[in-house]
Amino acid sequence: MVRPLLEISRFKMYFHTDKGVVKAVDDVDLTVNEGEVVGLVGESGCGKSVTSLSVMGLVPRPPGRVEGGSIRLADRELTHLKGREWRKIRGNVVSMIFQEPMTSLNPVFTIGDQIVEAIRQHRKLDKKAARRLAADSLQEVGISRKGILEEYPHQLSGGMRQRVMIAMAMVCRPKLLIADEPTTALDVTIQAQILDLMRRLNRETGTAILMITHDLGVVAEMCDRVVVMYAGQVVEEADVNTLFNQPRHPYTQGLLQSIPRLGQRAERLYSIPGNVPNPKQMPTGCRFAPRCEYAMNICRTEEPGLFAIGDGQNSRCWLHVDKKEEADRDPTTTTS
Amino acid sequence: MLIPVLIGMSIITFSIVHAIPGSPAKAILGERATPEAMERLEENMGLNDPLYIQYFRYVGNLLQGDLGTSVQTGRPVAEEILPYLTATFELALCAMLIAIFFGVNLGILSAWRQNTSVDYLSMVIALIGVSMPVFWLGLMEQWIFAQELDWLPSNGRMDPRMFFEPITNFYLLDALIQGNLYALQDAFRHMLLPAIALGTIPMAIIARMTRSSMLEVLRSDYIRTARAKGVREGLIIYKHALKNAFIPIITVFGLQMGLLLGGAILTETIFSWPGVGRYLYDAIHARDYAVVQSGILIVATIFVIINLIVDLLYAWIDPRIQYGKE
Repeated sequence: MVRPLLEISRFKMYFHTDKGVVKAVDDVDLTVNEGEVVGLVGESGCGKSVTSLSVMGLVPRPPGRVEGGSIRLADRELTHLKGREWRKIRGNVVSMIFQEPMTSLNPVFTIGDQIVEAIRQHRKLDKKAARRLAADSLQEVGISRKGILEEYPHQLSGGMRQRVMIAMAMVCRPKLLIADEPTTALDVTIQAQILDLMRRLNRETGTAILMITHDLGVVAEMCDRVVVMYAGQVVEEADVNTLFNQPRHPYTQGLLQSIPRLGQRAERLYSIPGNVPNPKQMPTGCRFAPRCEYAMNICRTEEPGLFAIGDGQNSRCWLHVDKKEEADRDPTTTTS
Repeated sequence: MLIPVLIGMSIITFSIVHAIPGSPAKAILGERATPEAMERLEENMGLNDPLYIQYFRYVGNLLQGDLGTSVQTGRPVAEEILPYLTATFELALCAMLIAIFFGVNLGILSAWRQNTSVDYLSMVIALIGVSMPVFWLGLMEQWIFAQELDWLPSNGRMDPRMFFEPITNFYLLDALIQGNLYALQDAFRHMLLPAIALGTIPMAIIARMTRSSMLEVLRSDYIRTARAKGVREGLIIYKHALKNAFIPIITVFGLQMGLLLGGAILTETIFSWPGVGRYLYDAIHARDYAVVQSGILIVATIFVIINLIVDLLYAWIDPRIQYGKE
């Protein structure tokens, strides 16, 4: 029986700046079940990082403001939490690793100190026990060399630092690990090691992973299910095989086409025409319509909902309904 | 680094002092001295020898711990300057503590609440602090707190009626060692106004430096990591961020401390503080070469030593900095 662990529904996070309102996350629905690995895919600036930071409560407010919707984690509503309540959850129920292992560890404290701090934040352990636990957690991520606890971040390579970050994030056995492009800054060989490690930890500890990436290769290797975001919205959601074999949203199709393949020598690599819309001036109707080769009249005037199209696949596209009326009758749609 | 700097300093002080117009013989004998008497005295003092010989004699003596003899009092400078030096040092240290405590906290506060009224208010305070001349601030303090309110004494290091025998000549320390609470209280009350006057400008500079350094650090990835671990905001600021932000701030500590030692002269004059600034000021008027040379050299040496300490502090705070290793 799959139980939902993280349920984001109709969540909106806007940034109120001097130059206008930026709708960074606009009406996002996303579910991660217990023990599941979900990929969150999209171009830079599509709102995937803001979505994940919102789950951590790490979006700076102001300028960020929750404009609606809810985030439920392990049956707990997160959007109303105050500072102290957030701190009990961060690093404990949900933890996060980041893109830049080189700068994500504090340069002036030892590895041991930093992991022990994470432990003692949430567990009542004395220093000795916490250090033992820190050493164990490092062993778990494949660092067993002696004296590592006494070393400083600058003495480690990027891959090692990312392992330390993972050890630190996993040490309190969170239910959910958010990984924001954890391998983007690493060498290809190290990337594979880190992905293997995360996959293994997921199997062994049952910690669900929300994997944020723009790399579809990583998604294919790691994830059970994929959520594709475009311009602050979820445009398609499906299990990983379905998404790669039968992408239904034109944007997802474009993304998949733009992966260069071995053995095919194309004259030019495919790219989706046009640019990501300016988040301060979103197009009316479907946000992808200006770049979409199938765009119809309705696409430019009315915003499509996320339509359920069977097998747990959802797509935000007018192509899936013959007429708009039909969409309105469909009980699973969330037309906005 | 220390040694070449000191050699350079000794040459510079020596040259500057000898470039000052006026003769020490004249200062000693007075305006109406006969040329013959002046000639004789200058010969005795070695002032007619070539400059380089005078210099080497001076350095040779220095190396033996002999800073020369004051022509005014006839006492060895090394002995005479010490109480003045400790008086200045005590004042500068207290001023620096005030400057660091208020400067760092003000800077942190405004970085933490960036672009809020708290931030603007803190920076206005810092701006006022940095643009207020020491002599004006000192006089205002005296007028308000000593004259009008009569809360604090306006000058000196201690009430002359106090029964007190200094040991190290750091009055606060001495009073503490002797367990003399009256003296401690009195020394503290005397210290307060001059230390505030002297510490205000460094306080303002430190506050601005801390703010910009903290702002940069607070934006960094490892602060986000600390937040993601669930660390409380206070610890993030005072542990994770401050230790990193301190690296550039410490440089300012060192420079300001050096400036305080040399630049206390105005404060010392206003508050009749018997410090090295006043001592040198009097010596310059009296053309007392030995005192001026040695005084400047000592202050310069302390400046260099403080900067050495700052360099060592870097390595202590930042594990990425290591000296003497490849």
